Amino acid sequence: MNPKRILIAADASENAKRAATYVGEIIGSRPGFEIGILYVIRYPDRDLFPDDSSWQNKKEEELKKAQLVLKELKGLLTEKSIPDSAIDATAIQAAGFSIAQAILEYQRENDFGTIVVGRRGVSKAEEFLFGSVSNKIVHYAKDCAVWVIE
Amino acid sequence: MSKEVQELVKRLRPSLSLAEYGRIYTDTTAYMEISYGDVIEIDNQHYLVLRDEVERSFGIEDPKYWVKRCIHLETGERRILKLVFHEKFMLKLGTLSIPCFRSPEKEARILDLVRGDVRFMQGLSRFDKKGNVVRIIEIIGGKRLDHAVFEIEASHRDYFYEHLPPILEKFIESCRAIKFLHDHGEIHGDIRRDHLWVEYGTGQYRWIDFDYAYEFEENPFGLDIFGLGSLLIYLVGKQIYTMSNLASQGFGQEIASTIEQEDFSLLYKNRIVNLRKLFPYIPERLNFILMHFSNGAEVFYETVDEFLNDLEPCLQEIKR
Repeated sequence: MNPKRILIAADASENAKRAATYVGEIIGSRPGFEIGILYVIRYPDRDLFPDDSSWQNKKEEELKKAQLVLKELKGLLTEKSIPDSAIDATAIQAAGFSIAQAILEYQRENDFGTIVVGRRGVSKAEEFLFGSVSNKIVHYAKDCAVWVIE
Repeated sequence: MSKEVQELVKRLRPSLSLAEYGRIYTDTTAYMEISYGDVIEIDNQHYLVLRDEVERSFGIEDPKYWVKRCIHLETGERRILKLVFHEKFMLKLGTLSIPCFRSPEKEARILDLVRGDVRFMQGLSRFDKKGNVVRIIEIIGGKRLDHAVFEIEASHRDYFYEHLPPILEKFIESCRAIKFLHDHGEIHGDIRRDHLWVEYGTGQYRWIDFDYAYEFEENPFGLDIFGLGSLLIYLVGKQIYTMSNLASQGFGQEIASTIEQEDFSLLYKNRIVNLRKLFPYIPERLNFILMHFSNGAEVFYETVDEFLNDLEPCLQEIKR
């Protein structure tokens, strides 16, 4: 894995912004680094909606949100002098249950040596019931570094 | 309209006499209007409405206007018809509140998935003339498992050694049933004590009510697994224990003073999970599983397989 290729796991939270800012501070204008920003979109389940049209509207909303977040995070990096050409911002759709697994798969396939992920700090009960993307990444990551930004 | 229903009842179920004869509904959208004496017609089958179902909780009856108790006029069999009602509400689970969605489509899909599987309630879904999916549920003649367990007249020790092994064996099969749902990308969504029933006659344990859906989370099975854990804690204890009922259950101060924060449930802060402190003959291995659902837990089950891998050997241990 290439340690100079850094992958920021993005979502719409403040933690993701903190993660991007942190990477910007660390890397700045140093040459040779490539930064990926990955937003894994998990479209809401059809079961949550009374009809197809409200479901489709929500999916479009989610896609727009992902694009906005990617733009904002990219802006945070360029503000810290990381060249635009060194940043690749991508949104993909989660294929399975787990966003963490989708991030790890993308990291492996694209030779990222570092994953940077924000953590919002969940209670034990929340972690049991809902799980935690950052904890799962820490648990399952192999052959790469993981930076957890709180 | 009343006459039409009267003639239909007379033709199909002449032995039935009703106080009121209502209307025939082929569109169930306005479910609040459908009540006693009305007939719901779906797919040329006729369901005479007797009443709305109610949910009883803490002595309060909460009517479920979209759930109708009926008689299927063609066969005379009792059925529950669940009509389309979408709602979003906050489900309170101990200290947490979770957005929950009622999904008729999810329940209809699961009814199809589990058809013929006696571990689940049975039923089918059909569309009314307006395209509303109506779930037609067979009624289970039985009682809630927790009530059946609570009513066993035995000391806890006798219950634990004599009654619990076969109960646990059946409960393990109920857990496998939930694994079956998970393996097919579904969740039960509302695993709680009043949703696992023991059927009269067969003694079969059967899950009911699958219409709760949730926003997707990183651990999609966490809620179901927590529900299984809470049920297991009840079955092992034969009831719920809290600090306030310990004395009435014969536990003195010397036991109560040993209960620490980490011995309580992760979600239900007053429930004692570390039952081995109350009943020292509960094997360490079984108590270890219970403690996964306690304040003191550091690791959690993510799959039913993990839970069962720990639970199945316990059955052998308490059977000895």
